[in-house]
Amino acid sequence: MHLEPSMKQMVVRRTVRKFAEGRLSPVAVEMDATGTFPSEIIREMAKLQYFGLEIPAHYGGAGLDAVSYAIVIEEISKASAAIGLCISVHNSVSANPIYEFGTEDQRKTFLVPMAKGQAIGTFCLTEPNAGSDVSSIGTTAIRDGNGYVLNGNKVFVTNGGMSSVNLIFAATNTTDKQKRYSVFIVESERKGLEKGPTEELMGMRGNPVCPIALNDCRVPVENRLGAEGQGLKIALSSLVDGRIGIASQALGIAQASLDVSLKYAKERYQFGKPLSEFGAIQNYLVNLVTRVEGARLLTYRSAYLKDQGLAHTKEAAMAKLYASEVAVDATRIGLQIHGGYGYTKAYPIERYYRDAKACEIYEGTSEIQRLVIARSLGYG
Amino acid sequence: MDIVVCIKQVPDVPNIRIDEHRMTIIREGVESIINPLDCVALEAAVDLRERQGGRITVLSMGPPQSEEALREALAFGADQAILLTDPAFGGADTLATSHVLATAISMLKPFPDLVLCGRQTIDSDTGHVGPQIAEELDLPQVCGVNEIDLQGDSLVVKRLYDGFLDTFRVNTPALLTVSQELSSPHHIPLADLERAFSDREIIRWAMKDLNLKPEEVGLGGSATRAWKLHKAAPKRRGEVVTGSPQSLVEHLIRKLEALSILDEESGNE
Repeated sequence: MHLEPSMKQMVVRRTVRKFAEGRLSPVAVEMDATGTFPSEIIREMAKLQYFGLEIPAHYGGAGLDAVSYAIVIEEISKASAAIGLCISVHNSVSANPIYEFGTEDQRKTFLVPMAKGQAIGTFCLTEPNAGSDVSSIGTTAIRDGNGYVLNGNKVFVTNGGMSSVNLIFAATNTTDKQKRYSVFIVESERKGLEKGPTEELMGMRGNPVCPIALNDCRVPVENRLGAEGQGLKIALSSLVDGRIGIASQALGIAQASLDVSLKYAKERYQFGKPLSEFGAIQNYLVNLVTRVEGARLLTYRSAYLKDQGLAHTKEAAMAKLYASEVAVDATRIGLQIHGGYGYTKAYPIERYYRDAKACEIYEGTSEIQRLVIARSLGYG
Repeated sequence: MDIVVCIKQVPDVPNIRIDEHRMTIIREGVESIINPLDCVALEAAVDLRERQGGRITVLSMGPPQSEEALREALAFGADQAILLTDPAFGGADTLATSHVLATAISMLKPFPDLVLCGRQTIDSDTGHVGPQIAEELDLPQVCGVNEIDLQGDSLVVKRLYDGFLDTFRVNTPALLTVSQELSSPHHIPLADLERAFSDREIIRWAMKDLNLKPEEVGLGGSATRAWKLHKAAPKRRGEVVTGSPQSLVEHLIRKLEALSILDEESGNE
């Protein structure tokens, strides 16, 4: 058993950390305050292949392994969870499914510009009445000659405001439950696709999350990803790997909270000694350090299993469930250690606190992760 | 232009710990990085190659794990990487290190037009290795340059020294050591990093490949021995004072008066 990162993975971490501390940390506070994503950051990250992390180099990507991918998302999210979210969603549930399920033409047309960061991707599954309950999706795609006509409403689309390529899940068949859904690659400029206003979010601010409406949106058959009826399979397979991304993101937020809390506990004096000398505070920190390390091992292991081509549905669910709960606790307790100062915007812990909560909700709520794990035990 | 960049893998200094008994740096559990000034030299080499064409060879003497630093240098833009590694090289001081590096450089074909080094390393901070390589290879050298220009076949370089800006015209082949101001290293593209670890070769030369003898390298080839190693006690201590601007000013005035820097009369004027 070998539980240490490889030489390459250590250099990946150092490289990304240097970039994140130098370029992303300085914009994180303003992104949060203004709710806008700086376009020059996208251009810079595009040149360094952050938009094609696991995509092979001949399609314009970096060709990294899944463990390196997890490390990249972790380090970006330490600096800015909102940018980590952009990169995680674009890569794991938008570019990767096109690479995995797309035709060679689709890879050339859509994947190459996505891997090069010239086109940002989304994953549009959630609807006003269908979130955890995927079987309630109401968007339809009706076959019409050489194409499909799409109608429906998607909500909470991460990266929506700046996307060029959108993966739309829609019902193409109403009789067979397993083969009801198909996936379509829909360009943002296509007639009939309309983006709504950016949501005012509690956290992850700066990522332009918005609704996308489809009104008689006509797409050619060449834009269907995979076979007709393969939608559920594509969605579930993408979400398994998406969970590795969200687990990594939660891990980054948890580590960032821990780092600032450890520092604050050493610097802040009360009753003539630093907070870190008080047993109660030490207890908080010791428990957090241990749990963050646990979250890291679960996350890397699920990525490692993916690299080995082994099943990792249960492990990715466990990593996502545990890491996001650790992130919420690490930010909540970290804020408690900071006391009144933590409740102000002078310290980053309140941003981490707001950011962390999203990890328990998107790409499968904690309740859905528990359901996935329960099924792996033979329940339900 | 053929450029050689000498690099050293060093422990990340903020985390450095010292074994005071064995008089060595504890490397266990400490992350190793490329000496930051060597990255500045690499960036300068990449910039010169862009302007002039040519080839960058990166050279390092160190234990087998220095491969990590060399692969990172390949990702950074070097064309080839040579690791000078042999158990016999262990315990080398700067003289024995320079001798091994100079010997390796002299074996390169064609002989390089330019050798670049960081001015000093963050772990031992001597600044010896660059100048000693230049002496051994009989190359003109300028240390601590902060600007390099190409003019025909020669280089025009600048360095800040003792408050003066010196400008030199240097014929190639030459050796330069670089200071922080010369360039700021670019961020490494992740695809180049992946390639550096999956597709690229590291050339390894041991003592016999360099036709060197045990008495020329490592401890045997060293002219110096560490006699004592201890942590320098910081002599000046800062004091953090908090409060309103008014109370801070009053506090400062009292301090300066107590130190007789500000006498009470002039302070009240």
